[in-house]
Amino acid sequence: MRRRSRLLLLFLFQFALYSYGQNKSKNQTANTQLSEYFWDRTEFKAGFVGTVFWSNGLSIGAEYLWKENEKTKTRKGIVRTNTHQLLFNGNLGFVTNFASKTDTGAYTNFGLIWRRTNKKGKQFSIELNPLGYYRSFLPETYEVNGDSVDKVFLPGRGYYAPSLSVGIGKQRKGKVRSGSYFNINYSPRFNYNAGTLPTFSLQYGFRFNFKNRKQ
Amino acid sequence: MKQPLIDNIKIVVLAIVTLFFNACSNDHTLTELDATVFVRHKGADMPAYIKGNASEKIFLITLHGGPGGLGLGFRGNAFKQIEDNYGVVYFDQRGSGMSQGNYSEDDVTIDLMAEDVLALVKVIKRIYGNDSRFFLLGHSWGGALGPATLLKNQSEFLGWINVDGSHSPKDLYFEYIRNFERVAATQIELGNSVPFWESVYDELDMVDANVVTLDDFNRLNNLAFDAEDYLKDDDLINNAENGNVKVSDYNVLTFIWNILKIQSILDDDIIGELTFTDRLSEITIPSLILWGRYDMVVPELYAQEAFDNLGSSEKRLVFFERSGHSPMFTESNLFAEEVLQFMNQNK
Repeated sequence: MRRRSRLLLLFLFQFALYSYGQNKSKNQTANTQLSEYFWDRTEFKAGFVGTVFWSNGLSIGAEYLWKENEKTKTRKGIVRTNTHQLLFNGNLGFVTNFASKTDTGAYTNFGLIWRRTNKKGKQFSIELNPLGYYRSFLPETYEVNGDSVDKVFLPGRGYYAPSLSVGIGKQRKGKVRSGSYFNINYSPRFNYNAGTLPTFSLQYGFRFNFKNRKQ
Repeated sequence: MKQPLIDNIKIVVLAIVTLFFNACSNDHTLTELDATVFVRHKGADMPAYIKGNASEKIFLITLHGGPGGLGLGFRGNAFKQIEDNYGVVYFDQRGSGMSQGNYSEDDVTIDLMAEDVLALVKVIKRIYGNDSRFFLLGHSWGGALGPATLLKNQSEFLGWINVDGSHSPKDLYFEYIRNFERVAATQIELGNSVPFWESVYDELDMVDANVVTLDDFNRLNNLAFDAEDYLKDDDLINNAENGNVKVSDYNVLTFIWNILKIQSILDDDIIGELTFTDRLSEITIPSLILWGRYDMVVPELYAQEAFDNLGSSEKRLVFFERSGHSPMFTESNLFAEEVLQFMNQNK
């Protein structure tokens, strides 16, 4: 048993040294010089958000490009250049269930997006929004305290709702409609009933950069 | 560039406002009720779906099974007929269906859930007037929550309808074992689904016959539902008609999370613990007990036990000869007939 462990450790050490080390020597990273103007680095987005079956709604948001670099690597003799971006992100959304009136709410969340874009403009994004708030909107609601029953004004409940999205997209460089995205979103709601409610939703929409001249 | 942008913003705002009003509108016309009202009580917001014809201001409040079931899960042909005559209130209990809120696990008790039902009564009275009158109906787990509610305040109700209700989950486990042995012997003798009923004996060998554990209880509970499927295949139970609950009525993921959560909290207090048998004599309002003859989930012994122990001077026990645990879906016309007759007599 001990001898096997030593052999395994030796193998892992050699693997790290030769495989990872070799790749690293062929990778190049160059930071991109970003525009100084706020609006050049800001994109707006709007789209569908929901679960299709139970809740559907609209989401709007903005992304501000914070950092960008180009990574060039050679794999099997082919040179690949990908752009990696870090963006500040903010969203505001509204969803409802048209059938039941029991699943209506608005949310807002803020965080960071890591996005990789290849030369063809195909994108992969991971969006982490640790600051998030979901507010449910309930229909007619009455609060009962002992024998008193009072109608509640603007009934609903607020939940801490961070979110994590993973998605793909397409960049349209230099155009006003500067891209599209499709995300799968996970957003837990704290404290929901006696625990934490996990929610999932789909997001599909478009990004806009109004500083771009081409339509 | 600016004008199209402003137009688009207008469309988005208009859409959001439309969605918002759709989410909040209710129809309280007594003859054609279609309203969703939330009851806020002790940290929970629980939806009550109020439907039907309440021209006489008489409401049938329904308590679903589970715990963790769906209020609207009752809807179908039987309840459509009841809705034509009376108002029906479908209620998602605390931690069930689309109920939401913020409370601790310690706050979830059967006692509090019974208070929630009485809070619902107060809300209906607030909306439709103090002259509103009520019947209470509980199915399965609702058959335990019903007595818990009535023992707190039965004066609010004109009658109690127990549908295959579990008023004594304390000893249900041991009755499962006895009932499986009984039904398996009968079905094997009749030559019905023999391999399945023989396998039931194997299942019974795998559970502890003396001590209740949650795992063993759940094993037998699942087996009970399987057994009803075989009784259906052998034409002893009618095929269940489709219910009227639509996939869009509930967020399925929320429902699943809620049911798992509420059962994880309440199971320890219910299974092998909870019983109202000794206190049923304190319930004196008119009572109707409706039971499927082939109910494997809450066996028919409990129908007779409920009937014998209820303190009501006016009580009636009805067995549905071609039904299992949910006669409202397997003999819906007869079910509606019995409920309506009981409500007409006692309103």
